[in-house]
Amino acid sequence: MSREWIRFPLSLMVHPFEGYWDLKYDRSRNFTLIISFSVLFLVAVTNILRSQYSGFLVHVYNPESMNSVMEIVYVIVPLLFWCVANWSLTTLMDGEGKFVEIFTSTCFALLPLVIIQFPWIWLSNLVSLEETAFYYFSNSVAVLWFVYLLFVGNMTVHQFSPSKTIGIMLLTLVAMGFMAFISLLFFSLVQQIVAFISVIYQELVMRT
Amino acid sequence: MKRKLKTPLLIMICCLLGVGAGAGNVSAKRASDSYIYSYWGDAAAAPAAYVATEWISGSDLGTGAFQEPSDLHVTADHRVYVLDSGNNRIVVLDHDLKLVTAVDSFTREGEPDAFLQPQGIFVTDDGEVLVADTGNKRVVHLDSDFELIKIIDSPESELLQDSFRFEPVRIVMDHAQRIYVMAAGVFDGFMEFDAEGAFTSFIGANRVYIDPIEYFWKQISTKAQRSQMVMFTPTEFTNLDIDSEGFIYATNGDQWGNNIKKLNAQGSDILRRTGYSDPQGDILYVSSEGPSRLIDIDVADSEIYSVLDGKRGRVFTYNGDGHLMYVFGGLGNQLGQFHTPVAIDRIGEDFLVLDKALGEITVFRTTEYGRTLNEAVKSYYRGEEETAFALFNRTIAMNANLEFAYAGIGKALLRQGDYKGAMVHFKRSLDQKNYSKAFLLYRKEVMREHFPLIMTMLFLAGTGIFAVSRIRNVKERRKGASA
Repeated sequence: MSREWIRFPLSLMVHPFEGYWDLKYDRSRNFTLIISFSVLFLVAVTNILRSQYSGFLVHVYNPESMNSVMEIVYVIVPLLFWCVANWSLTTLMDGEGKFVEIFTSTCFALLPLVIIQFPWIWLSNLVSLEETAFYYFSNSVAVLWFVYLLFVGNMTVHQFSPSKTIGIMLLTLVAMGFMAFISLLFFSLVQQIVAFISVIYQELVMRT
Repeated sequence: MKRKLKTPLLIMICCLLGVGAGAGNVSAKRASDSYIYSYWGDAAAAPAAYVATEWISGSDLGTGAFQEPSDLHVTADHRVYVLDSGNNRIVVLDHDLKLVTAVDSFTREGEPDAFLQPQGIFVTDDGEVLVADTGNKRVVHLDSDFELIKIIDSPESELLQDSFRFEPVRIVMDHAQRIYVMAAGVFDGFMEFDAEGAFTSFIGANRVYIDPIEYFWKQISTKAQRSQMVMFTPTEFTNLDIDSEGFIYATNGDQWGNNIKKLNAQGSDILRRTGYSDPQGDILYVSSEGPSRLIDIDVADSEIYSVLDGKRGRVFTYNGDGHLMYVFGGLGNQLGQFHTPVAIDRIGEDFLVLDKALGEITVFRTTEYGRTLNEAVKSYYRGEEETAFALFNRTIAMNANLEFAYAGIGKALLRQGDYKGAMVHFKRSLDQKNYSKAFLLYRKEVMREHFPLIMTMLFLAGTGIFAVSRIRNVKERRKGASA
């Protein structure tokens, strides 16, 4: 069993259809959730290490703008946005996936980013400017792989047809935009209300 | 009683002053208002490269106050020609900035003739004087004794419209006696005249900037409305200078495009922009004030050039690669600040800045930092890497924020074979291209040194893996047989 922790996500990467089927129907919820969180953790760690230790030729490191906490936020917030938007849309459009399944499938899809980018943090220190093409190439491979896994995961979890999945994924992006807009609006409104109340309070205090 | 008190007080003041002066010597720690822009586009503190030492006005020279002087020119032998526009005269100073002569008229066909509101002056290496006599709509060419050689007025060409009014504002002449004139109201670039004074062509027009919103409104409006709107015209040049190789350096009032240009004979822009940001004056500014408005340019040797920002009164100096070297000046009332600066020029290492409203010339002299940096950049340009190495090392000791200096050190180290050290320095100057060069050499060196060890390890690892898999296979087969 202990080997399964590693073997399952890796085999899912190369056999996504079987893997995601397993994830949805055969594996226990706890098992997949724990792996999901560890993948998420690894992605955040990879991003932090990448911004700190990548080779000078592929990444000019500015110590003043480096912020590990923000690197974590950049991973988690878009992921949650994606999951919430995807869940909201698919519940309306006959998707069979539960929120947990959407979350775990998305997290599993992030694995290629770790597997490919993590070694490149150190490899990028050993390449010349001409050889950085390999770095950018493998990075794009990682991203494409991630998108492919996301696509298969979404399709399997919701039991959609491929064309519908593509449509849903695009719609999810739009919904994420909406969510970002609404949350910004919300925050600025709350800020104004708070400011308003505090001004009234000040006014009252100053009067008496 | 009072006397007694005075002495300790005096000592105390002296001590305080001493502390201040001591801090002044440690230039990096001084709260200097000079700065340079870092790779990241932040303003980083820098020691002052130039400090103002004196003011020179017309009355100091004994010629009466300058009235709205608009241009000055320094020759190679350090004679200073000030164009005193309001008084319609040229004031000539020697290298010590003492009066030599003041010229307000010349003889033309036996008759005395004078200038009228001249705006631009240029003096060749032989001492020939060219004046853009704006009020009289002509260019006056005088020899070194201020005797008339020729006058250029009302140029004729099919390129020019009949209604064209020739109002020269700034002027330069190259070694082949070609004259380049910046004229008011001309959007086609500089006017080029041949040695005889005949107009030949325009050179180096600026590009038109089209505001998309304005363009949209233009598309939907009628012809009558359109005729009332602003036309899309290229920006005018604001000034020009010529270097010893005959390249014209020009500034223009562009807000968005490249406001500094180096024009070759064809009129195309060949300025190298390989610095951390394009040469353009200030890159950080309050948006209500807007970017720098460059109104004068001065080229020194070794491709070093300086531009004057009329909006904030600062002088920016760049090297030939486009790296910002130092900034000085500013608007204000103190020595070293200006009211309406109009012209700059170098007199040797020092700078002269002409203020139009005050009618004064401010003299800036180099500090040790400025001298070292100038010398370092020059010797680097000449290819004397050893000297540049030593000088750059001294500049970074005075200003660790000077990022491009590290590249100079790195190049010298690369030449010496210290690849590792070169890598460190190129990384500090954030120069990826040269870093890669140094890194390749370093990698080769390391690989060559450790090649036997690496190969042995690889061989051992290979055989090890092979052996392990072999043993496993055998074991599994046995298991299979026993089961």
